[in-house]
Amino acid sequence: MLSGEELGIVVLSLEVALASVAASLPVAIAVAWLLARRDFPGKTALDALVHLPLVLPPVVVGYLLLVVLGGNGVLGPALASVGVVFAFRWTGAALAAAVMSFPLVVRAVRLSMEAIDPRIEAAGRTLGARPWRVFATLTLPLAWPGIVTGALLGFARSLGEFGATITFVASIPGETETLPLAIYAYTQVPGAEGHALRLSILSVILSLAALAVSEWLVRRRPGAARDA
Amino acid sequence: MAGAWRAAGHEAPRIAYGASSALARQADAGAPAQLFLSADLDWIDWLARRRHLAAPPVRLLANDLVLIAPAASRVEVRIAPGFDLARALAGGRLAVADPRAVPAGRYARAALESLGAWKGVQPRLAPAGDVRAALALVARGEAPLGIVYRTDALAEPRVKVVATFPEASHPPIVYGMALLDGAGPEARAFAEYAASPPARTVWARHGFRFP
Repeated sequence: MLSGEELGIVVLSLEVALASVAASLPVAIAVAWLLARRDFPGKTALDALVHLPLVLPPVVVGYLLLVVLGGNGVLGPALASVGVVFAFRWTGAALAAAVMSFPLVVRAVRLSMEAIDPRIEAAGRTLGARPWRVFATLTLPLAWPGIVTGALLGFARSLGEFGATITFVASIPGETETLPLAIYAYTQVPGAEGHALRLSILSVILSLAALAVSEWLVRRRPGAARDA
Repeated sequence: MAGAWRAAGHEAPRIAYGASSALARQADAGAPAQLFLSADLDWIDWLARRRHLAAPPVRLLANDLVLIAPAASRVEVRIAPGFDLARALAGGRLAVADPRAVPAGRYARAALESLGAWKGVQPRLAPAGDVRAALALVARGEAPLGIVYRTDALAEPRVKVVATFPEASHPPIVYGMALLDGAGPEARAFAEYAASPPARTVWARHGFRFP
């Protein structure tokens, strides 16, 4: 059914998208909490910074990543000395996807945190819970639908990432060539529309599967049975 | 060229940049274009078949394919049949425009294949989204070598030309110019000027040759 090459592209795309979500979700939850629950100087600036990848053309984000994290970038050599290399590696594709999808994840998580009645958290504190415990036992479970939605949005955006990825880490088969990059390449080859179509159908199937999984996750959130 | 034309006392041309395929399709769909300049003669032929040309197209410019390295690099490569490009890369990658998707990449692949160097270097490619992205990878030192057009290499001070691919190693890289059916007198004059000796000195300064 799937050729070895197609299977490789799908597996790589899933790896990149999953790694992207795994990397961005914890940071996104922390940033969303800061933006939803805390006031501090520079909050507007942080909010703007978070949204930057949503506003900038993806190619610009890819180029900035190259300038900052490339082998000869601002931070590249320092990272390379501790063994972290992004250039031309799948990890670079995952990073590009994580950066591009970050605003979507933060927005989803933040909205669901802001919808929590602050008095619930206040009650937790009144009953003697430490801030970390309030966060872990009240805020996080109550924000669960937003976290799942954010993870799904991030996963979907990562699966579709094109511009930042191809600019930052090129389109190397087996290393950084994810589904959209492969589909783009095939659409440019006369007579390869069939390949492009097969990969496009695979993209649709993967997206639908991700949606189904997130639906299932939202339904089985802690306490969902009671307020359903 | 537009600057030289203005300096000669004319109104500046309005230029629409884009992929040959996209521009040709736009002209076909009725976009008010008067002159079509393309690095892909096939798309000019395509417009001719659809009866959009006001005059036979001319082969205006030619370009070369060059091997480039970061300006500070000391790498030396002689392009010859069977040359070992993978070795010159010393573990790095060769920045090229994607050989499947981008014309510059297709030329690079053709040149490497005709020189018998393609198989050895294929696993070491860094296929970029377009030729300028490949240029940027070398300019930033991410790739120790790259293949771009000579005009690209001359436009970027952070790279240097290591060697030029023999003209016979790839299909000719020729830029055509065609007057479209809506062309007015100003467009015709500009087309004439773009092929004139004073214009040629401007083209040549940017690295173009003439077919």
